Amino acid sequence: MTSPQARREALAGTLFALPALALMLALLIAPLAALILLSLTDYRLGAVALRFVGFAHYAELFGDEVFRRALRNTLLYVALVLPGAVFGGLGLALLLRARRRSRPFYEVAYFLPVTATLVAMATVWQFMLHPALGPVSALLRGLGLGHVDLLNDPELALLTLALIGLWQLLGFNMVLFLAGLSAIPRELYEAAALDGARSGIDRFLRVTWPMLGPTTMFVTITSTITAFKVFDTVVVLTRGGPMGATETLLYVLYLEGFQYFRTGYAAAMTVVLLGFLVLLSLLQARTIERRVHYA
Amino acid sequence: MTTITTTRRATLAAAAGALAMPAIATGQGQITLDVLFANPSFARFFHPIAEAFQRANPDIRIAFRQPAPSYDDQHQALLRAALTNQLPDVTFPGFNRLPELARTLAQRGQILDLGPLMAAEGPKWRAENFSERILALGQVDGRQYGLPFNASSPIAYYNPELVARAGGDPDAFPTSWEGVIALGARIKAAFPQAMGVSYYINSFDSDWLWQALVHQGGGRMLTPAGDAPAFGDAAGQAAIQLARRFVTEAGMGLIGADQNRQQFATGGIGIIFDSPARLAVITGLVGGRFPLRTAPFPITDQERGGVPTGGNAAVITTRDPAKREACWRYVRFSAGPEAQKIAVELTGYLPTNRRAEAEEYLGAWYRQNPNALAAARQADRSLPWEDYGANGPRIHRMQQEILTAVMRGDIPPLVGLERMVAQTAQLMRA
Repeated sequence: MTSPQARREALAGTLFALPALALMLALLIAPLAALILLSLTDYRLGAVALRFVGFAHYAELFGDEVFRRALRNTLLYVALVLPGAVFGGLGLALLLRARRRSRPFYEVAYFLPVTATLVAMATVWQFMLHPALGPVSALLRGLGLGHVDLLNDPELALLTLALIGLWQLLGFNMVLFLAGLSAIPRELYEAAALDGARSGIDRFLRVTWPMLGPTTMFVTITSTITAFKVFDTVVVLTRGGPMGATETLLYVLYLEGFQYFRTGYAAAMTVVLLGFLVLLSLLQARTIERRVHYA
Repeated sequence: MTTITTTRRATLAAAAGALAMPAIATGQGQITLDVLFANPSFARFFHPIAEAFQRANPDIRIAFRQPAPSYDDQHQALLRAALTNQLPDVTFPGFNRLPELARTLAQRGQILDLGPLMAAEGPKWRAENFSERILALGQVDGRQYGLPFNASSPIAYYNPELVARAGGDPDAFPTSWEGVIALGARIKAAFPQAMGVSYYINSFDSDWLWQALVHQGGGRMLTPAGDAPAFGDAAGQAAIQLARRFVTEAGMGLIGADQNRQQFATGGIGIIFDSPARLAVITGLVGGRFPLRTAPFPITDQERGGVPTGGNAAVITTRDPAKREACWRYVRFSAGPEAQKIAVELTGYLPTNRRAEAEEYLGAWYRQNPNALAAARQADRSLPWEDYGANGPRIHRMQQEILTAVMRGDIPPLVGLERMVAQTAQLMRA
């Protein structure tokens, strides 16, 4: 039996939690439920009536060449961006940590792309990569690579977007790693030195890398999600072209939902995308967590 | 005593009346119309037109919503607003989206048929102001849902310096596509780093330019019934072969639409084809680098050939019967000669009103801006911008992909055309 005192406390606790719970229901759970329900209908934006179609959209999705291509493109994009974003960010942070006076300058320089609005920056990129007028194309020609069109060649367009995505992500990850590095206690390095870890590589492998575990995990998961959600560069620079080479999941989803108005189908796609993100995050969290050392 | 009382009462009544005046004015006289248009850059003519309208109609105030980024975005915003009963009072949908919008809204009783309002103005008014060809652009299923406001058909923009230095005559722009390609080839030969011609259907943001290439050859995108593609015929075959030849013979590179405009403006392309609505923009981009010239779109089939008409029509979507009359006055003004003068001068669009071309409106301006004449000279070639129905944007993306593959030389033109026709038919049924 619970005492009246405990019951009162439990009631008060519930009451206190209620507003947060209600908000969570209204802002997170209910829209998700609506999304799943919509994905089972043939609803079109503006239509007066709708019909339940069960899992037809999901079946259609996996036979849809456009969706499969978008999935391939997205996975390729993530694979291109992720290693650079994580290890590049870490490398920059390690290099910057040793700087004393020039550190603020580098921090600002690398962080600038994060603060710049991409849509505005895309105009600059568009000019830089212009096949006839842009300095990048001129540079590539100067290097003897011939006529390279980074945005309009279907073989290169996705790689180009990946590089821009990396450029955008690097500074942010660097700052996260710098924070992670500053949290590692000095004594650990001293102790490691006493134990014979003399070279920088030794110190990195024995102390820095294990201690950065939680940061690395966080950076990897957020970078994966960011890369998965690539959208703005696609809209502004290529609109999914040339020949669908840069159509990513989110862009196709946008086309289906907001250009073709197939709301039901777009909802099914969103559910799948969501599933992918959850699965991927769980997988990463599991594998990395096993090796993460929380200090 | 009595007289004093009356005076006092009268004074009181007068004072009360004076106090109530502004309330009566806003409650009765001032009607505010909520208006939505697409393309933020259009603000530069929508706002002056609204000001002119308000000067002539002090009892109506025009309040613009945040403009939609594009016709498609506007279409989407309108469909959403229809669901939540938040439609604007007047809006300006693109011609190619008008049929779908009108059908969706008519089903829900949220769009006004302008036919009776126009009939009330009388047949003389109709004949004086509009050509039937222009009015047809605003008709859906036999009803006049839209009154055409802006209209345009593609024209050629060319760089007379490149043309002259390649041995062409800048004063006689070719009137056939063979001529355009031959001239492009000469420009390419004279300036290997430039493009002779760029016809960027590989990156244009709608299928308008592709339709133009079919229409000029006498083809149509759809059968008369409008339920199946019809561009698999000789006109379509000629069009897709031209598309490939721009690349192989006239030195076209497959780059983005904006990239094309930029490169043209810096003297890197001899000839491009684009909307006359961009005349002011492209003239600005060129600056003083070269004396930009324009020419009408070459037409192969003189009998059936034409050009698709882009632009938008004014539609009334108010649900408030009290506002209808005010909406109609605004729509009528927008399609009238004064408003058309403002819109045409600021963009390069074609006037949709017959009277606008008169001397007191645009006559002098056309003499000073001969580049705007190219569009006006082909006004009688206007054909509707054909619409594939609900799957239109999707069909455009598919067609653009195949066109790009054909232009790159990945698939032979006729195979590409066959594939386009088959997939269009399939998507129209879906």
